[in-house]
Amino acid sequence: MKLNVDERWNLIEKISKKTVTFGKYQHTLKDAVGELTVKPLTGIPIAVAILYGFWSIFGSFAGTLCTDGFFVKIFDGHFLPFMQKVFTGLPKWLYYIFVGDPLADNCFEAFGVLTSGLFLAIGVVLPAIFIFYLMLALLEDIGYMPRLAVLIDTVLHKIGLHGYAIVPTILGLGCNVPAVTATRILETRKQRFIAMTIMAIFIPCGAQLGIMEEVIPDTIGLVLLYLITGYFIFGFILNKMLPGRSPEILIDVPPYQMPTRRNVVRKLRMRITSFFKVAIPFVLLGCALVNVLYLAGVIEWLGNVLAPVFIGWFGVPKETVGPLIAAFLRKDLAVAQLSAIEMTKYQMIMAVVLVSIYFPCVATFAMMLREGWRELLGALATLVVTVFLYGGLMHLIGIVLGVA
Amino acid sequence: MQTSNYTSTERRSGVNKNKFGRVYFGILGVVTLFFGIMDLVATLRGESITWGILEIPGDIFPGGWGGLIVLFAGLFYLAGIRNFFQIHQFSKVVMGSILVWIMAGCDIFAWITESIPGGEEGPWLNPWGNFLGTFAPPYTPAIFLLPFSLVVIYFIYQRRRT
Repeated sequence: MKLNVDERWNLIEKISKKTVTFGKYQHTLKDAVGELTVKPLTGIPIAVAILYGFWSIFGSFAGTLCTDGFFVKIFDGHFLPFMQKVFTGLPKWLYYIFVGDPLADNCFEAFGVLTSGLFLAIGVVLPAIFIFYLMLALLEDIGYMPRLAVLIDTVLHKIGLHGYAIVPTILGLGCNVPAVTATRILETRKQRFIAMTIMAIFIPCGAQLGIMEEVIPDTIGLVLLYLITGYFIFGFILNKMLPGRSPEILIDVPPYQMPTRRNVVRKLRMRITSFFKVAIPFVLLGCALVNVLYLAGVIEWLGNVLAPVFIGWFGVPKETVGPLIAAFLRKDLAVAQLSAIEMTKYQMIMAVVLVSIYFPCVATFAMMLREGWRELLGALATLVVTVFLYGGLMHLIGIVLGVA
Repeated sequence: MQTSNYTSTERRSGVNKNKFGRVYFGILGVVTLFFGIMDLVATLRGESITWGILEIPGDIFPGGWGGLIVLFAGLFYLAGIRNFFQIHQFSKVVMGSILVWIMAGCDIFAWITESIPGGEEGPWLNPWGNFLGTFAPPYTPAIFLLPFSLVVIYFIYQRRRT
C-alpha cells in the first residue's frame, strides 16, 4: 500500500495521539542540579570542587594511608633488609641489579629490581591507580563525565578538540595506554592526533602522580601548573598548524543516577588488570636496564656527552640523564630516581617536568604505533620540538625570576 | 507576580512555609562566604589563622583551593534564597550544601587515613588513644559548616512529601 505525503502525516498524527502522552513536564531536583553542573557560571565552581575532592582523596588514600602508612614500613623495615640478607652471597653486579645499593636503607634509594622495582609497583603505584580508577568509575556511573564534557567543550575547541576529549585526558591521568585508545571517540584524524600527542607529552599518569606526591609533595602543584599550561599552549599551536576539521558534537547527557556496585567493580577490575599487565613488567625491566647501563658506564658517558645541553639549556644537573633514560620505560621510576639526585627546588621542578614531557613511556609508545606510524612519527617530532622549546622557555623564566 | 514562578505543586506546599529556609540559608550563606574569604586571606598571607578550635589553613592546598570552594558554596546559598522553594533556586541551595559536604568529607577522610597507621616508628596500627587524638580540634571551617548544611536534607524531604 502506497501513501501520499498527506496520508503519511495523518497516519503519524493518529499513531502519536494513541501512543504519546502530552503534558507539562515538571523539573525534578535531579534535573535542576544536572542543569547547574553544565552551565559555565555554576558548573565551573562545581568542577573545581569535584577536582578538589578527587585530588584530596587520591592523596589521603594513596599517599597517607597506603604508601606512607603501611607500604614504606613493610618495604623499608622488613623487605629491604630481608633481600639484602638473602642476596648477600651473589656476585656484586648481580646484587646491584636485583637488590641495588648495598648501603641503602630505603627502597626509594636502593634501585634494585626486586627492591625499588617491587616497592614502586606495589607500594606506590597500585594504591594510586586503585583509588584513581575507583573515583573515575564512580564519576562515570553517577553521570558527571558527560556534563564535564559539555562544560569544557568551548575551552577544548580552542585547541581543536571537543568536550569528549576530556575522557581520554582524564583516563590519561590514570594511565596513558588506555587513554590513547580512548582518543578513538574523537571524529577526525586531526583531533585524534592532537589529543594523543598533547596527552602523551603533558598528562602525567597516575603512577607518576603517586610518586610525585611522595617525592615532591610541596612543589607538585607547580609541576602540574607547568604541564597544564603546556597542554593548552601546544594544543593551540597544533590546532593552528595542522590541516583538517574539528567538528562540533552533540552530547547525550543522561540523568544523574546512583552508581551500581557491579558496574564499578567490573570497570575497576578491568582497568587495574590491564594496567598491571603493562606496569609490573616494565617497572622491573626498567630497573634492570638502568642498572645494567649504570654498571656498563653508559649513563655516565651519556651524562658527560649531554652535559652542555642539560646544564646550559635546561638548567638541570647531568646526573638526570639516567632517570631520563629510565623514563622511557617507566616515568614513575624516573621520578623516583630523581629524588636521589642532589638538586635545588627549582632544578627538581624542572627535572620532573622534563621527565613528564620528554618521551611517552614505551607502553604508550607501542599503543601510539598501533594508531599508525605516521601519527607516531608526527607525535615524536612534536615532542622533540616541545621538549627543547618548553624546557628552554622554563629555564629562561627561571633565570629571569632569579631562581635558576 | 512572584508566585507565577512556582509550579502548582510548589504553590500547594505553601511558599510562606519556607520563610524559615530563606532566612536560615541566608545566614548560613553569609557565614560560609565569610569563611571562604578568610580562607583566601590566610592563603594570601601564607599563615594559618587559629581562633580557638577553628583553624583556617594558610597553604594553597587545601587552604586556597578549599577556600575558593567554601566561597562558592556561600555564593550558591545566597543565590538560591530568593524564591527559595522554586526548584531551580532550591537546587542552588542544595549545591551549596554539596560543596560543603565535599570539603568536609575530604577533611574527615584525611583524618581517618591519618589516624589508622601507627607512624614510622610505632606499631602497625595506631593505639586507641592516638587514633582518637587525630580527631581532636582544631577543625577547618568546612567541619563547622557541615552540621548546618545538613538541614537541606529536611527541605529535600519536605519537597518530596508535597
